[in-house]
Amino acid sequence: MASRYDRAITVFSPDGHLFQVEYAQEAVKKGSTAVGIRGTNIVVLGVEKKSVAKLQDERTVRKICALDDHVCMAFAGLTADARVVINRARVECQSHKLTVEDPVTVEYITRFIATLKQKYTQSNGRRPFGISALIVGFDDDGIPRLYQTDPSGTYHAWKANAIGRSAKTVREFLEKNYTEDAIASDNEAIKLAIKALLEVVQSGGKNIELAIIRRNQPLKVTLWEAEADGSREVRSSKLT
Amino acid sequence: MAATFFGEVVKAPCRAGTEDEEEEEEGRRETPEDREVRQQLARKREVRLLRRQTKTSLEVSLLEKYPCSKFIIAIGNNAVAFLSSFVMNSGVWEEVGCAKLWNEWCRTADTTHLSSTEAFCGFYHLKSNPSVFGSCPRKNMQITILTCRHVTDYKTLESTGSLPSPFLKALKTQNFKDPACCPLLEQPNIVHDLPAAVLSYCQVWKIPAILYLCYTDVMKLDLMTVEAFKPILSTRSLKGLVKNIPQSTEILKKLMTTNEIQSNIYT
Repeated sequence: MASRYDRAITVFSPDGHLFQVEYAQEAVKKGSTAVGIRGTNIVVLGVEKKSVAKLQDERTVRKICALDDHVCMAFAGLTADARVVINRARVECQSHKLTVEDPVTVEYITRFIATLKQKYTQSNGRRPFGISALIVGFDDDGIPRLYQTDPSGTYHAWKANAIGRSAKTVREFLEKNYTEDAIASDNEAIKLAIKALLEVVQSGGKNIELAIIRRNQPLKVTLWEAEADGSREVRSSKLT
Repeated sequence: MAATFFGEVVKAPCRAGTEDEEEEEEGRRETPEDREVRQQLARKREVRLLRRQTKTSLEVSLLEKYPCSKFIIAIGNNAVAFLSSFVMNSGVWEEVGCAKLWNEWCRTADTTHLSSTEAFCGFYHLKSNPSVFGSCPRKNMQITILTCRHVTDYKTLESTGSLPSPFLKALKTQNFKDPACCPLLEQPNIVHDLPAAVLSYCQVWKIPAILYLCYTDVMKLDLMTVEAFKPILSTRSLKGLVKNIPQSTEILKKLMTTNEIQSNIYT
């Protein structure tokens, strides 16, 4: 039955499925894992940094991107789709700042991205965006936020979540280990993100990239090499 | 076939009418050259079993030299990675031969000089216990097959998002009396390709055989998928063959890094 209703995005199957949207969610699982943690005074995004080909410029391979000074996003899925969504979101952030003279709230830009994704599930001749995104940041009121969007255009706020390959395993780890104690301090939250990624990384913890935003401080991206017991920072670099 | 404005693929009606009868007849007649080309292609596509060093045919000596009690087949890169890092890492395994074949999808045109890395299948036997391995049906032989399948092939009432992937399912022949280390594959799921062929053969010839099928999200080489095969190490088929699990895990990690082929399409 699936094969008769899964070719066109605008066609529901008799049992109410939009198969193209569900297949887009499979495309998300082909991307490497990204994890997001919302602490008390910090938000953390962690990804496994992909090993690049020998002749490829490492700087141009990015899984975490800044949408504005106070908001950043990690994605999993089709690289080209992510580039398009990120560009639209960045333009919207600046447009909002020029129009209302206030930076966007994290919820606003998440809603914008989710609405964009939903439009592509309802247009003929187009396909959904094959990415899920984790969007983190601090609003003006100083409250940390973490949102997740998926190809269907839904968005929800989370305390901690993971997307991409083996996301389910990471989420189960977070459900067991995300406690008030675990996020009591900034370092504990960072350690939790690294430990969650270590559950599923392929490279044995050699290449974990973290994006950290602390309250009233700019975004910081650092590269980590982690082992099962502890972790040490390898080098820091500012996100351009 | 044609695509509509909405992106559906539909069968387009053909306006060419029926084909010319004369053209059909010509197509059916086979010239001697066609026959020659077809025979050459069939010879090229033959599957050959070769001994390791001498490259002579393996089949006859296999029957005499290597009677066996346990035969383990791994199909697919995750199953092969599991076998090579966990089972073949413990003890000394000797390569006794390989199977080579060629078809139109192979990248090399040269069929006579395929290196061992291009072999379709390698045969190994355990030096310390030569009864583990074999290729012919004998009494008291037990066959274990390991393979992977994408989780979207798994038919279930639950949505695939809620399945604990990767997970293991088993399917065994009537003569296999030992319990499986995981739940059996339920209907209406079916097994395809080579594992199905081997299992059917074993069922017909009353050989005890069990297939362990890992349903996974990731079909390329993946640590989580390979580790999903671990419960099999406690079964009677593989017990005693695996000595050092932590060391095997390290070898597996090394295999991951050397085999990492990064695609730019997905990040």
